[in-house]
Formats: sequence, structure tokens, C-alpha cells
Amino acid sequence: MVPLTRLFSSTLGRKYLMGASGMALVLFLVVHLLGNLTLYAPNGDLLNTYAARLQGLGIGLIALEVGLALTILLHIITAFQVTYTSKLARPIGYDSPKTKGGPSKSTAGSRNMILTGIVLGVFLVVHILQFRFGPSMEEGYTTTVNGAMVHDLYRVVVEAFVQPLWVAFYVGCMVFLGFHLRHGYWSAFQSLGIINPRWSKPIHTLGLLIALLLAFGFLFIPIFIYFTQSGGGNP
Amino acid sequence: MSASNSKTMNVRLKIWRQEGPSAPGAFEEYSLSGILVDMSFLEMLDTLNEKLIHEGKRPVEFESDCREGICGTCSLMVQGQAHGPVRGATTCQLYMRSFQDGELITIEPWRAKAFPILRDLITDRRAFDRIQMAGGYTGAKTGPHADANAILIPKDIADRAMDAAACIGCGACVAACPNASASLFTSAKVTQFALLPQGHADRKRRVIRMVDQMDKEGFGSCSNLQECEAACPKKISIQNIAIMKQEYLKAAISADFRAGLGSADGGA
Amino acid sequence: MSIENIPFLGKLDSGVPAGPLEKKWDSYKANMKLVNPANKRKYSVIVVGTGLAGGAAAASLAELGYNVKSFCTHDSARRAHSIAAQGGINAAKSYPNDGDSAWRLFYDTIKGGDYRAREANVYRLAQNSTSIIDQCVAQGVPFAREYSGELANRSFGGAQVSRTFYARGQTGQQLLLGAYSALMKEVDKGKVTLYPYREMLDVVMVDGKARGIITRNLSTGEIERHAADAVVLATGGYGRVYFLSTNAMNSNVTAIWRAHKRGALFGNPCYVQIHPTCIPVSGNHQAKLTLMSESLRNDGRVWVPKKKEDCKKDPSLIPEEDRDYYLERKYPSFGNLAPRDISSRAAKECCDEGRGVGESGLAVYLDFRDAIKRDGEPAIRERYGNLFDMYHEITNENPYKTPMRIYPAVHYTMGGLWVDYSLQTTLPGLFAAGEANFSDHGANRLGASALMQGLSDGYFVLPFTVTNYLGTHATELLKKVDTQHPAFESAEKEVRAGIQKILEVGKKGSRTPTEIFRDLGKVVWEKIGMARSEKGLNEAIAEIKKLQNDFDTNLKLTGDDKLNKNLETAGRVADFLELAHLMAQDALDRKESCGGHFRLESQTPDGEAQRNDDEYAYVAAWEYKGRGKDSIVHKEPLVYENVKLSVRSYK
Repeated sequence: MVPLTRLFSSTLGRKYLMGASGMALVLFLVVHLLGNLTLYAPNGDLLNTYAARLQGLGIGLIALEVGLALTILLHIITAFQVTYTSKLARPIGYDSPKTKGGPSKSTAGSRNMILTGIVLGVFLVVHILQFRFGPSMEEGYTTTVNGAMVHDLYRVVVEAFVQPLWVAFYVGCMVFLGFHLRHGYWSAFQSLGIINPRWSKPIHTLGLLIALLLAFGFLFIPIFIYFTQSGGGNP
Repeated sequence: MSASNSKTMNVRLKIWRQEGPSAPGAFEEYSLSGILVDMSFLEMLDTLNEKLIHEGKRPVEFESDCREGICGTCSLMVQGQAHGPVRGATTCQLYMRSFQDGELITIEPWRAKAFPILRDLITDRRAFDRIQMAGGYTGAKTGPHADANAILIPKDIADRAMDAAACIGCGACVAACPNASASLFTSAKVTQFALLPQGHADRKRRVIRMVDQMDKEGFGSCSNLQECEAACPKKISIQNIAIMKQEYLKAAISADFRAGLGSADGGA
Repeated sequence: MSIENIPFLGKLDSGVPAGPLEKKWDSYKANMKLVNPANKRKYSVIVVGTGLAGGAAAASLAELGYNVKSFCTHDSARRAHSIAAQGGINAAKSYPNDGDSAWRLFYDTIKGGDYRAREANVYRLAQNSTSIIDQCVAQGVPFAREYSGELANRSFGGAQVSRTFYARGQTGQQLLLGAYSALMKEVDKGKVTLYPYREMLDVVMVDGKARGIITRNLSTGEIERHAADAVVLATGGYGRVYFLSTNAMNSNVTAIWRAHKRGALFGNPCYVQIHPTCIPVSGNHQAKLTLMSESLRNDGRVWVPKKKEDCKKDPSLIPEEDRDYYLERKYPSFGNLAPRDISSRAAKECCDEGRGVGESGLAVYLDFRDAIKRDGEPAIRERYGNLFDMYHEITNENPYKTPMRIYPAVHYTMGGLWVDYSLQTTLPGLFAAGEANFSDHGANRLGASALMQGLSDGYFVLPFTVTNYLGTHATELLKKVDTQHPAFESAEKEVRAGIQKILEVGKKGSRTPTEIFRDLGKVVWEKIGMARSEKGLNEAIAEIKKLQNDFDTNLKLTGDDKLNKNLETAGRVADFLELAHLMAQDALDRKESCGGHFRLESQTPDGEAQRNDDEYAYVAAWEYKGRGKDSIVHKEPLVYENVKLSVRSYK
């Protein structure tokens, strides 16, 4: 047995944390995307019901949110630690390093996880401010579903995505999410050592599918809303 | 017949020169003409050095020994790639025909904090020895042992252990890794002994100590880019890294492992 | 440099214990002096070299409790040239149930060495061989295995049994990494101190005993003194005296040569093994040759054109009737599988006649055309794929389409420091192991036996014999000598003077160390190579002296006395120049042909080696008398009590 502090301060330990938190976040994204599919429903009722149900969890929701926040924080902190260690490990870089190809998974995306990660971090802050802490019921964003008055989250979403700039911002960020997941998904398995030669390739391919699915799944929402709700697209 | 034998080429070289470990370094450019295309890359450098000596200049210091790809001594970053552009080869197995006539070839030492530069293109790779020292052995002492055939090892396991054991300790994995991580080197040894029954008695102690030492040396963290495997002259798989991660986690959380791990350990 | 040499006054005593052959080693161990465990930590032993012999010895001595200082020229102990051995390691395990035994391995080795090895040493080697395999398996060496999980064996030249254990084509690497890991285990325990980047430049003798060494730190240039109670040299062979060989760039004779200059006798320097299947020299720029496994001769046919004018032609255009399959012609029963020395000499003869092929005319064809026609390309690829790839990589020629070109090259030296049964040189307290000693291989070494000898010496001989030495001289050795002793002082001064002289001369001259080295190699290769004659050897001595003079007065060297590879080379070339002289002298003195030593004057009417057991059944142990001076020979008669001397024939 090794003290946990020591285990998780080793380069391997940090990658366990990174991988495990990453896996949890992928799981969250899948659930989040499934929830967001309600946005494709014609009038915002489905979304608003879904949101109201979540709110109804009360303390449970808070616990989930805190858990999620901690996972994200852990992912970010270990990311910076890992990056810092690696920078220290090579104080002087090469003149013009080049990948050797073959089995290498070194691409602009996989080498720059920290950059795509930072973009996603910034996105996250904006996204939470915009929708989690956006216009509230007190500010008149209410609607009635099945006779009950609920928060009209749908209106908040629509008001954002009828603006081309917000659509562009969300679409752009989701492209970064795609790149992050492209390497991250497979990488989590490798970091945790739960991989073997038979599964390595399928998992890597699955990573591509998941990256595409999640990135496009999310980025189509603002586009869909833009074209269905704003006068500019389809009147 | 050996038609290409007498064909020659010209090269321009951009080589890292550095007097000593703490001296500043810089690139210097050289040109060579009449280089045979069938010359090995190191023979080309030999030719350069002979020329430099005749010109009264200090030759470029680089290391090599067996010149057949097994000792792991040669260690050059050529055109931004560890051991140059050819996969599955060491620098000494690189030939001039892999380059264009008149090409500008950049040659650098391995770059990592854990591999300080001694002079020019020579780095001190003793950090690898210290990782090995921390646990890269079975602990069997010289003396009488059970008959060799008393331990049966399935052929597939023996073959996989051999795949891992093929590491030549050249450091290309560290050099090629964007994070200067030594995970491939360390994991190859861990895996060899994790697979073989002879290594089972001290497998937990081994992996914990070797990983600790790897971290202490100042190598970076593995980002699963697999660039190490691409650069490895023996094509050692990053599957070994996955195995090391399993081994480390298992050892770290194992209740019946009470580490007498030396001073860095802080007890069990 | 004036090195004080300790004159050899005694009689060469092999120190072989009395009694029947198979009981000698047991009898040695039963009667040896021991050192009690508490006292072991009071002794320190220097081991120079970290190959199979040195690495194994250092680890094993440290396990016993001695304080070991281990030196190597590389950055890491793992890079010693043992790592490049490919084929395998012999052991009389008799797992295939094919009639092998220690006796048979002993007999094959004695016969393979052309009856010029010491019986008792060879028998001990054969006895130890089985323990080596057990030891290596315990260390986790991943030997090749059968599906049953048992160890796999293969057969090798010179034996009718399958006794060779292997780990792919990297047996040397795996065995070395086994010894290296054992060594690192002891470094971790604090019983071994590693001194990498160190080149040994002198042995320090105090009161007639080896008590330390002088080294140069190759990474900083510092000259250092190291004291101990015994010194083991395991620094490998001297094949690089030929400049072009399969030896590594840093392989050299310096450590054993400096010991020789201090008074250790040098045994059989002219016994050199030349391997027939190497990739030929391709130009003057080359520094190193590459071996192609001998196994290729199982399917490849060796030939040269019958007519000189065909030599530069595309071989596929030369019709069958114009090809000379000379091995099949000369040795119909062995054909292309004739032994190494025979095949090498036959290739040389063809090239001397002007029938060699390739740019330089110094190559013969090894042709797989018929084998491919017979078995198909996939079958050949299955058997030799990696070798064909290697050949392609180096020569840029496709051996599936065009025949390989091969030529013999030096790859092992049977000669080395003379040692007695306990592996002690004529300098008390100085031991030599592995290829560095004059060895158990006589005049010719069998394949897969070098690894066996290195590990036997290191794991299973030195731990006993060094203990016996320390136990025997306990009173004297427990009085510690420190590095302030005048003997260290003067040895260091001489070493410094030697380096200074090279640097001084180097400022004025015009020839680089490599240029002189290459010239030396040519002389040694042509005149002390595959065929030697009195005339050639005398010419060689004259040419070597000329090169010595060139080196002393016309050397060109740049750089400082810190990390400087060319300075290292220069120091080694200085010693190779003296060694070459001794090799010529030994070859001249041995007016018989045996094993790797072929004197043109001593051959049978059909051109085969003619041994002369009546006059030359001895070990020639040479005493150094100064640079440029002739050495003096001492003889250890070889007595054969257990085998009958016979003639080898391959017709």
C-alpha cells in the first residue's frame, strides 16, 4: 500500500486522475447531449419539463453539480500539473521536431490537449453563466407546462441562438471538443491501463466516433435553432 | 551489381555544438561534398570529423559503438526525428541514401532535462541506469538454482517478454516524446518481469520503485501520443505502458504490500 | 612513456589441481581458502569491464559481500560489446536427449580449438555450462521456448548435438542485460560502485601485488586513482587491431595491454578468428563491418566467376558453366558448410587470384537463386527474412534477386592475457576473464562458446578464485593501501605524461589517429590475417615500426584533454601499434598452422593446415620488453591426458 498522496502525485497517479475524470466527463457529456435532444422538440415544452424535473431533484441536483464541478476541477488541475512537469522535462526544445509516423498518434490535436482544454474551460464558464445562471424566473422567463409554471429555459436558449455570433461561438467550441475527445477518449483507457492489444484499435476508433457524435450532436443544436427560430433562415 | 556504390552527393549540415554541460550551445553549419550515397550516416560524420581535424578545428563529439543497432549508444536527433527518418532503425543503421543531394540536415542531441548534454551531441543517459537500479531485476543471486526447465513458461508469454526485453536503452523514446517521458523504457522492463514468473515475487516493489525513480529523474508524463513507439528502433509497443499502469495501480493499492522502499518511501 | 615492467622470473605454473579431470574443479573448491563473512566487507575488488564476464563477476563478488568498484568506458554498463552476440550460448544440458554431456562439450571445444587449449580449464567450462542456463533463467532471461513451455535448443557449427540456447538473434543482449540487472541490483544495495565513462590506463602494483588502477574519466578528462585488494580485467578482445572488424568502435586492447606492459604475460596473441560471412568493405570511409549469420550457408551457394573478366559483370548474366562453386569443388563432403577458417581462407584465395567480385574485388557471391527455385521465396524469407532485410538495408541490394556479396572479417580473438587455472595473470592479484584472457578456446573458438566462457568466468569461477586469493594473502591485504601511495603517484604521472605527449605531438603533425589506425589495420589484415608467411610477417614488423614512428612524430589531433573521442582513439592506437608487433612476432615464432593461425609454410600437400604437435603444443606467453623491442616468449606446455590429438579433415 502506498499513501494516496504519493500515489496521486506520481506521473502515473496524475494520469489515473486525468483518465478517470475524463471518462466521467465523457459520460456526463453523453447524458447532457441526450437531455439536449429535447431542444429538437417543436415548442420548448419538452426541454422545460426536463429542466423542471432536474430542478425538482433539489439537494440531489446540487450534489450532482458539485460532483461535476469537482471532476472538472480535478481534470483541469491535473492537466496543468502534467503540462508543467512535461515543460520542465524538456527545457530546450528541438529546432524543428517532426513525428515519425507509423503508430504515432501525435497530431496537432493530440499534442495540444492543453490548448483545446483551455478553450473548453473558457467555454464552460461562458456556457454556465449563460444558461445555468442566465435570465431567471424572477426576470419573467416563465412558461406553463401541463398547468404548472416553470422556468422558460427554452426562451433563454432561443434568444441566444438566434444570434449568429453565439451560434458561431458554440459551433467553434464544439469543434475543439471534438479534437479534445478524439485523443482524450482513447487516452483515458491507456492512462488507466485498461487496454490490451485486441481492444486498443477498436477503442481508438470508437474514440473517433464518440468525438464526432458528441461534437456534431452538440453543434447542430445551435444551428438547428438558428435556422428554425430566427427569421433569417427558414421563415 | 552495385550500381549505386560510387554515386556521391553533397550535404549541408546544421549541427548543435556545445562545449560542456553548462556552456551555452548553438548550431553551426558545415558542407560536405563527395559523400557516397551508400555511406552510413555516422560514417558521413566520421568524414566530417577527419576534415575538421585537418582544418585544425575541434571535431563534433558524438557517440557510437556497435554500429549495428544493438548497443543503444548512438543517439542523434536527425531532421527533428529520433534516429532520423527511418523507422525501426538506430542512427548507425541510417544511410545517406535516405537524404536528398544538397539537403540541409539538422543534427541535435537528445533533449531532456534528465539527459544533460556533456558535449556537442553526447548526452548523459545515466538516469536510465538509476531507473534500472530501482528494481529492474529479479533478485536472483549467483549460485545454484532450480533446473532451467523446472519453470515452464508458455511460448507466447516468453515471446511477449522478449518483445519487451528487446529494449536497447538508447533513449529515443524520451527524445521523441513531446513530454520527454521515460514511460516506454521503464514499462518495457516492468512488463518483462511482470510477464515472467521469475519476476513475480518482487513485482510490486519493482514497479513502485522504478516509477518513483523515473519521476525523480525529472522525466515528463506520458500523454499517450505513441510517438515513442514510432521512434523506438526496436518498435517496442506502448502496450507495455498500459501494463505498467496496471502494475503500478495494483501495487499501490495492494494491502499486502508493505513497502520497504528506501528513504524516499516514508514507510508502509 | 617509461613504464616499469616487472620482469617475469618464475616458471609458468598453470596451477591445475591434481586428480582426475572431472574432479579438478571440485578439488579446487574443496581446498580453497575462504574469507569469513565479516571479513568480506573489509575487501574491495576492482572489476574493469561490464560485459558478460565483468558484469557477472562484479555482481557475484558483490553478492558475496566484497566491495566492488565496476568500471566501463560507456555511459552505461549495459552497452558492453557482449551485447552484439547473436547466435546463442552452448550448454551441456542434453535436454533434446541426444547424447550430450560435459565430456562431449569439453571434447568438441578442445578439438574445435585444434588442440591448443588447456584441458582442465575447458572441462571446467563444460561443467559450468549447465549452471549458467539455470542462473540466467532465474534472472528472467527470455530464452526461446517450445509450446510445451520448455527451453528450445538449436544446433550450431562444430557440434553434432543441439546444445545451443538462444533468445531470438539477440542472445548476447539478453544475457548481458541479465548480468547488468544483477549488477544494478548490487549497485542499489551499495555493494557495487559504478564508474562509467572510465578507461583504465594502468594497473598499480604495490609490493608485487595489483592494488589499484589509474583511469581517465572520458566525459571530463580527469585522471583518477582507485585502490583495491584485487583487480579483475574483463575488457574484451583486441580484434579492432585490424581496424575493420565486427567489433564495436570502442573495443580496444588498452586495459590488457597496459597490464601487459606492467608485466602480465600475453598468451597466444596471433590466434584470431576470422568469420567467413560478413558484408564486404564498401569503401575507405568504413569503420566497422557487419556479420551475417553463418546459418545462411545452409541454403546459399558460395561462388566466384571462373574468368577474371566476368568479375564486374551482372552475376545473373554469368552462365552456370562459368561459375566456380569453389567450396563444393574443394570440399565435396562439407561443401558450403566447411568450417569458418577453411571457408575464409578459400574466399581469400579466390580474390587473390583476381576472381573477387564487387567494386573492390574483395568479395564472393553467396547465392540463393537455387534455394529460391527449390523451396520458393516465402520459405527462404521465413528462414532468413531478417538477415536479408539487414543486408538490403546496408547494401541497398535485394538478395532475393541478386546474390549477396560476402567476405571474411575479424570478429574474435582467442589470445589475451595469460592466466592460470584460477584466471590469475602472472601479476599477483590481477585476474583476467572472458575474451580478455587467452581463453579456453585454444587456436579456434566454436560458435556459441564465447558467451558461455564469459559467464562461466564471471559467475562461477572468479567468485571462488578471487576469494581464494584474498584468503591466502589476508595478512598482507588487510593492510590497506591508499591512493597516496608512491606507486599510485608514479603511475598517474606516467599516464599523464603519455596523454600530454600525444596532445603535444598532435599539434604539429599531419595524420589523424584514424588515418594511422586504418593503415595499421591494412598491414595487420594483409600480413597477420588469414594466411601468414615468414616474409609477410617480417614485412609487417617493418611497416608497423614505420607506423609507430609516424604516430610518435606526425600525429594530428585537435581538441582538448576533456571529452575528446579522437584523443581516446589515439591512446588506443598507440597500444594497437605495439600489440600488432607482438602478434607478428608470435605468428612468426609459431611455425605451424593451427586453428585461426595459418602459416603458408606449414600446409599439407592439398593446402590444408598442418599442425606440429611435437614442437608447438604449448601456450606462447610473451613478456614485454619495451616499445619497438622484441618480446620474450615463455612456454606453457600443453599436456593432454584425456584426449588424443588428431587431425581435422573436411574433404
